[in-house]
Amino acid sequence: MAATTTPTALDIFESGDAALRVVARSGDAEANWATVHSLAGWLATAGVDGIYGAVPTYDSVLVEFDPYVTSARQVRAFVLLGMRQLDFTGPAMREPRRFEVPVVYGGEYGPDLERVADHQGLDVEDVIARHTAKTYVIRCLGAPAGSPMMDGPDFPVPVPRLKDPRLSVPAGAVSVAGRQAVIAPAVAPGGWCVIGQTPLTVLDAAREPLVPYVPGDELRFYRIPADDFENFTGKFLEARP
Amino acid sequence: MTGSLIILQPGHSVVTDLGRTKGPAYGLPVNGALDQFSAKAANILAGNEDNDPLLELTALDFRMRATTDLLIAVTGAPLDLTVGGRDCPQWEPVSVRAGEVVAVRGIRTGLRAYIAVHGSFTVPSLLGSCAPDTVVGFGLKLVEGFRLETRKTTAPITQPHFGLPLFRLGLTQPAFTTNPVIDVTDGPDVAEFGETADLLFSTQYTVSPRSNHIGLRLGGALPERQLTSEVLSRGVPVGAIEIPSREELLVLHRGRGVTAGYPVLAVVTSRSLDILAQARPGHTITFRKTTVAEATAMHRTACLELDRLRNTITTVFGLLGIGAGQRWYELSPASGA
Repeated sequence: MAATTTPTALDIFESGDAALRVVARSGDAEANWATVHSLAGWLATAGVDGIYGAVPTYDSVLVEFDPYVTSARQVRAFVLLGMRQLDFTGPAMREPRRFEVPVVYGGEYGPDLERVADHQGLDVEDVIARHTAKTYVIRCLGAPAGSPMMDGPDFPVPVPRLKDPRLSVPAGAVSVAGRQAVIAPAVAPGGWCVIGQTPLTVLDAAREPLVPYVPGDELRFYRIPADDFENFTGKFLEARP
Repeated sequence: MTGSLIILQPGHSVVTDLGRTKGPAYGLPVNGALDQFSAKAANILAGNEDNDPLLELTALDFRMRATTDLLIAVTGAPLDLTVGGRDCPQWEPVSVRAGEVVAVRGIRTGLRAYIAVHGSFTVPSLLGSCAPDTVVGFGLKLVEGFRLETRKTTAPITQPHFGLPLFRLGLTQPAFTTNPVIDVTDGPDVAEFGETADLLFSTQYTVSPRSNHIGLRLGGALPERQLTSEVLSRGVPVGAIEIPSREELLVLHRGRGVTAGYPVLAVVTSRSLDILAQARPGHTITFRKTTVAEATAMHRTACLELDRLRNTITTVFGLLGIGAGQRWYELSPASGA
């Protein structure tokens, strides 16, 4: 496989004729994450002909390009150039914004809450307490539709995915799986365990940006009673001033 | 002057373009025309920009009525095209008079066809693209009676010598077949499949009816991952071949979720993604290994073919007075000169 290693411990893999996968290999998850997001930001602002964009996640970034305008070889050289620049300046992460998300836990809003509690060997209240105790960092935007992917709450063991994924999970569903947590911005099929739902609107196709957060922003959940749900309906998720 | 058309029988049609290339950075799939070559060719033949909105028809018959004179071009899978009851050629510009019905019937061998209208359509866009996104809930719903506004209307082009084709543009049409050979390059995770990776090239796969714009599901002998470790979610390219279950191979297409946690065995080349977009359930697929350099060369050959077509069309349309921009002597003088 065509992988090259650079002084910044980076592996670059061919991913077809229109994409490269760039993987940070520093040995430190936090540093890898900062590296791939900084690199994606650098590529987005550098405005290179033929590069559509970059999709950074945890330790990797997918760089997509038009193979008529440029080529895997040229994009690879450009990524290395960007890395030299970032080695010099350090990763550029902006000041995080804070989001606070009201959640109705359990019942029809969180049909998998009890299952998750059973599997963790915790009671339901303890699962909610752990889920609301943490300040989450949004690691990346994932499928579907700009979902905020976060490291999960402080649970004893990873949460198994549903054996039979649901065909439809409502917008606002608050879910956990493995060691990850997420909010669903839009209705979509899903195999994660839904423990609650926020009444806030996360994604609005009529607004730009479509979702209000970017990777690096921070998010906390707080519990609201079910009869408070309607009071938030129609309101948008917005950063704390 | 603007024009319009009315959808009489939508079948399964959408207004789309070449895709939302800004989408993946925001977690949205790129979407857009699945057979990019046919879509670009349709727009070029209609005298449009490659990325202009056009109609994508999938499998089902379609009819629309022009309410003004229009110039259209139909590309993609073989089909029967009639305008006002007359048989008309595919892969050629076609004049439609006001009131005439354009009918597409019997899409066959392939799955998708494209109709571009000179002047294209005035439609809403999201992140710079009109391509529908079913997850976000964006895109026009084409139903019976829906009126599409076009930015231009084109007087009929008449051919003085009856029975002779109006245009002879010499475009090499792509071949359509029920058992296509699909080129792939090694995926970034091919090593995780060990020797079983070679099964991909010695197996005939059958397209499952559960295939769509998100991905094609293929039945056949499956390579097996030799590792059991969890994979962190990461960006996956359009064309990625994954094995999410023990039953089927999954080839991601333009509607794919941007991130996933499955290892990528191989990646379909840009050129072969267009061919795959035309594969129907039941068609058999054979994979052939190629290199990124080879794949890039093939993509560029196809792009050059389209460039040649664009040059020809620009010349022909210029002579016919279609789609020409303002000439320098028609521009108003710069102020203060």
